[in-house]
Amino acid sequence: MSGMTAKPESISTMATPKTVNPFWYKIRRNPLTLFGLFLLLVILFASLFAPLLSSYDPTKINITQRFAPPSAEHWFGTDEVGRDIYTRILYGARLSLGVGVAVVFGAGLVGTVIGAISGYFGGKLDQLIMRLMDIVLAFPSLVLAMAVAATLGPNLQNAMLAIAIIKIPVYVRLARAETLALREKLFVKAAVTFGIKPWRIIARHIIPNALSPVVIQVTLDIGDAILLVATLGFLGLGAQPPTPEWGAMISIGWKYLLDYWWYPTFPGLALFLASCGFNLIGDGIRDILDPKANR
Amino acid sequence: MRQIIVKRLSMLVLVLLGVTLITFFLSHVIPGDPARMMVGQRASEETLQEVRRQLGLDQPVWVQYFTYMQGLLAGDFGDSIRTQQPVVDDLIKFFPATLELALTAFVIAIVIGIPIGILSAVKKDTGWDHAGRFFSIAGISTPVFWSGLIGILVFYKFFDLLPSSGRIDLTVPPPPTITGLFLFDSLVTGNWAAFGNSLWHLVLPAATLAFAQLAIVTRQVRASMLEVLGQEYIRTALANGIHGPVLLFRYALRNALIPTITVVGLSFGSLLGGAVVTETIFSWPGMGKYVVESIAFLDFPAIMGFTFVISFGYVIINLLVDLTYYALDPQIKE
Repeated sequence: MSGMTAKPESISTMATPKTVNPFWYKIRRNPLTLFGLFLLLVILFASLFAPLLSSYDPTKINITQRFAPPSAEHWFGTDEVGRDIYTRILYGARLSLGVGVAVVFGAGLVGTVIGAISGYFGGKLDQLIMRLMDIVLAFPSLVLAMAVAATLGPNLQNAMLAIAIIKIPVYVRLARAETLALREKLFVKAAVTFGIKPWRIIARHIIPNALSPVVIQVTLDIGDAILLVATLGFLGLGAQPPTPEWGAMISIGWKYLLDYWWYPTFPGLALFLASCGFNLIGDGIRDILDPKANR
Repeated sequence: MRQIIVKRLSMLVLVLLGVTLITFFLSHVIPGDPARMMVGQRASEETLQEVRRQLGLDQPVWVQYFTYMQGLLAGDFGDSIRTQQPVVDDLIKFFPATLELALTAFVIAIVIGIPIGILSAVKKDTGWDHAGRFFSIAGISTPVFWSGLIGILVFYKFFDLLPSSGRIDLTVPPPPTITGLFLFDSLVTGNWAAFGNSLWHLVLPAATLAFAQLAIVTRQVRASMLEVLGQEYIRTALANGIHGPVLLFRYALRNALIPTITVVGLSFGSLLGGAVVTETIFSWPGMGKYVVESIAFLDFPAIMGFTFVISFGYVIINLLVDLTYYALDPQIKE
């Protein structure tokens, strides 16, 4: 988020009160963005304090309690082996948030490095890298993620890897575009004149300055990444039972939908709210940064 | 125009080559030993070698790729491990169902999405706009599998209005196959019973799939309408006393639709991805359900055949979208 604070100076051309941080001012004016922030804080709170918010164990089997409907004891009911669904959702929040953030940060990092290298050196290497990225982008993303995850073997790590792979090209393009502009800047040319090695220029001068569009894209992508992880989980290509991952829970729960409606419904609701929170915030940020929207 | 087409076509060949490289790499190089997977762990060394020879796995990798490409060009994706049928035959069998579902969803998304987008733009920053915005964000935030489940719960279990699975009731004979699209075939043959029944089955899956697309259409229409409405020719038109629907539809919408076509066309890819999930939820007998079942069997020829066909379709759609774009916007005819 620290990259965020660098941006307001450049967009504070609008008439906003001088005493208030313009970025925060604009966010506050948009009720939907605030709501997104609220959703996210609730989920963050739930994931951090999961053990305090529930007295059940997310993986402990209790056959006598199987398929108990929502009640005062089990707020969201229990699943086919009597585990408390509310508790599993709380612990699942840790997993979903962690995985979503890890995937986009990983993809952002790798993509930025590749994009900076591609843009800095240019020439044949740049051509090769960009054509490769075009090819990855030529696949419908979920279909490619499915193919990669299926090939690597169905587990959470491979699902994360598959999603990172489909996310990388966007960051490569962003970082490359920034690098092309930075390469012409005086401070980079000066560094070249001083005989500083290219990898050092890229690491110390290019990447730190190319980061802010990447950071913005990262915040926009987290919601999507959480959904993709859950979708792979639902298709049996992500986290495997008994891990309390939301997608994996729905993957088993939907078979019981007609008799025990609460089983797939609540994990899905959690997933929806998390992704909604990120998307609302992302939408707000996009709005603030998009000069066309400020008309 | 011609130059552009030639350039795009050469790019297309390159991308398709890349697609084959990736699918080949994924299906032949990564999964350890496909021969071992086919014969199972208990098979003898001789059987393994024999299968390996049959599959051409004893050849160098580039020879394997060449053979794979030869097969692809001849429409041979290999045999499915699960169904024991040629993958091509399987895909052809399941393709029309997927197409029917995707097209219907596409139409729903456009018919509902464009008006909402226009409304949001015209009533910018009002309750309408916020509602439209929330609706579209809800659309992209809702996992397709979850909205499908909620749809089944509400419209099948609670109200018993719509069926929860399949393309047509078992008691209704499906229309004779012309295109394989039930709606079209039954309409052409005047088979109203089949038409009504398959439409009834199509509503829930298509609406589920359309919901996520709606968001994309709405947002794009809103953004480009806002941009167009701020332009001088609109102000001139307003000054000349043109207003209301004429201004909106004749003057503004036409120009706003150009970027919309691009975005919506590109989003067809996510529609295809979404179809995989939707078909699974609604037991819709299409390619998506086929590939999910193949995944459970680690049936790589089927998975890669599907990936190749979908990506191929996606690349072609993108090309068509680009060409429409050039055709529609006289300003880009360099």
